Amino acid sequence: MRTSPDAQELLSIVAETFRTDLLPHIPPAQRYTALMIANALGIVQRELAGVDEAGHAMLAALALLYGEDADDSLSGTELRQRVEALQHRLCIEIAAGDFDHDGQDVLMECLEEIVQARLGIANPKLLRG
Amino acid sequence: MGALIDGESRPRLESWLAGATGATRVSVADEGTLGGGAISLNLAVTLDIDGGPQAGRHACVLRAQPGGGSAVAPSMKASISKAQEFAVLRAAFGAGVAAPEPIASCGDPAVLGADFYIMRRAEGIGAGHKVVKSDQPQRGLARELGRQLGRLHRAGPDTPGLEDLPVPNPSPALDCVHAYRDWLGDLAVRDAVLAWGLRWLEIHAPPPGDLVLCHRDYRTGNYLVKDGALTAILDWEFAGFSDPMEDLGWFCARSWRFGRHDREAGGLAGREDFYAGYEETSGRRVDPQAVAYWETAAYMRWAAIAVLQGRRHTSGEEPSLELALTGRMLPEIELDLLRHIRNLGLTVASPVESAGAGLSGDASEERVA
Repeated sequence: MRTSPDAQELLSIVAETFRTDLLPHIPPAQRYTALMIANALGIVQRELAGVDEAGHAMLAALALLYGEDADDSLSGTELRQRVEALQHRLCIEIAAGDFDHDGQDVLMECLEEIVQARLGIANPKLLRG
Repeated sequence: MGALIDGESRPRLESWLAGATGATRVSVADEGTLGGGAISLNLAVTLDIDGGPQAGRHACVLRAQPGGGSAVAPSMKASISKAQEFAVLRAAFGAGVAAPEPIASCGDPAVLGADFYIMRRAEGIGAGHKVVKSDQPQRGLARELGRQLGRLHRAGPDTPGLEDLPVPNPSPALDCVHAYRDWLGDLAVRDAVLAWGLRWLEIHAPPPGDLVLCHRDYRTGNYLVKDGALTAILDWEFAGFSDPMEDLGWFCARSWRFGRHDREAGGLAGREDFYAGYEETSGRRVDPQAVAYWETAAYMRWAAIAVLQGRRHTSGEEPSLELALTGRMLPEIELDLLRHIRNLGLTVASPVESAGAGLSGDASEERVA
């Protein structure tokens, strides 16, 4: 049985209440801490809502690099493990010098996609327009 | 860590200080913790010294090894010990750098239970976002920070008092790559952006050249400004011998411009003012290609330090929201890293424009060989 409101819904109202009802009344000495809390709540919200979407974006970027089709059916732990396995493989290849002379353009594109996907959760204000 | 100075430790501190300063009597007033202590514990103290060469009242800062003792914790391996930091401060101060005046250093655990030293307190604003706030570029300040760095870089492995600091081997660049990989741990084989950053630094590593005393955290946010003028350069805990261009690359990295990306020298002014000040006092030309290399290293270093700081939280060693959020800054730092590498790549394609901007294709090929 699904609990209602679920974790995301509960978190959403917590974050909103904190920002609108509490943040404006925090004394200056604690304001930095309060802003850090608001920031952290935002990260958690975005991660809960968008971790699979980010995973698919990273998988697509890695699949393109390896000339494979990304498996759109993956989700949750399986998706995360697939992305981790491909990233690990890429790390080993990079360290071995496989991109020292060729393929840097396609590698850079892949890495930029990965960073964009992770920024969408950590700090979407910095996403390219 | 509990209160460093309490009823029990205060008399020990005061009698040790009397000995260290050649005084008949010293009394210490503790005025609480100061900010800027992500790595060190900073206490504001006022010393009343009776007798001896330093008699009088002195506003000071007591900087202690966090976690007690003298050992640098594994998660803080980028830092040097408090005794080494004191030696660096003396060398810098002696070279005419606006470092806080070092007063005394203590490695006896019987006094406060942790290694610490005392330096003179400086006044001014340190917070980066406040320092960069200015309608006009702060050209004089940028130039003065260049001059200060040039003075610091006149110290090196032959400077008396710095014998304990390790000398990089085989080269500053490759030593840095090795250190970053060590700090990143298994992330170096799990995060492809970091793996590429490390490889890029290996491929393009410059051969060993001049070796100087580097601050290694020389940036906006780590110096104090009062009425638009520099009062002190702080946070010497990462200092070490390295390639002089490392400090210039770090200072100019995007990470420390606090939003003023149009002012590449620390959010203050253009690079030309900072470089000109540096050349005035260092007796050395700025090599923009080398600075560009070290700017890549700066992003990797900042990434690795952010990982270390995040780990201080996740390991349970030091639960802290600020440290946790620093760990979450990684994608942002990686964005800056990739943008920088991408810009250098563009100058390879158009070598005519590479003069002040980046590594030329030929130079990088040579370095691969």
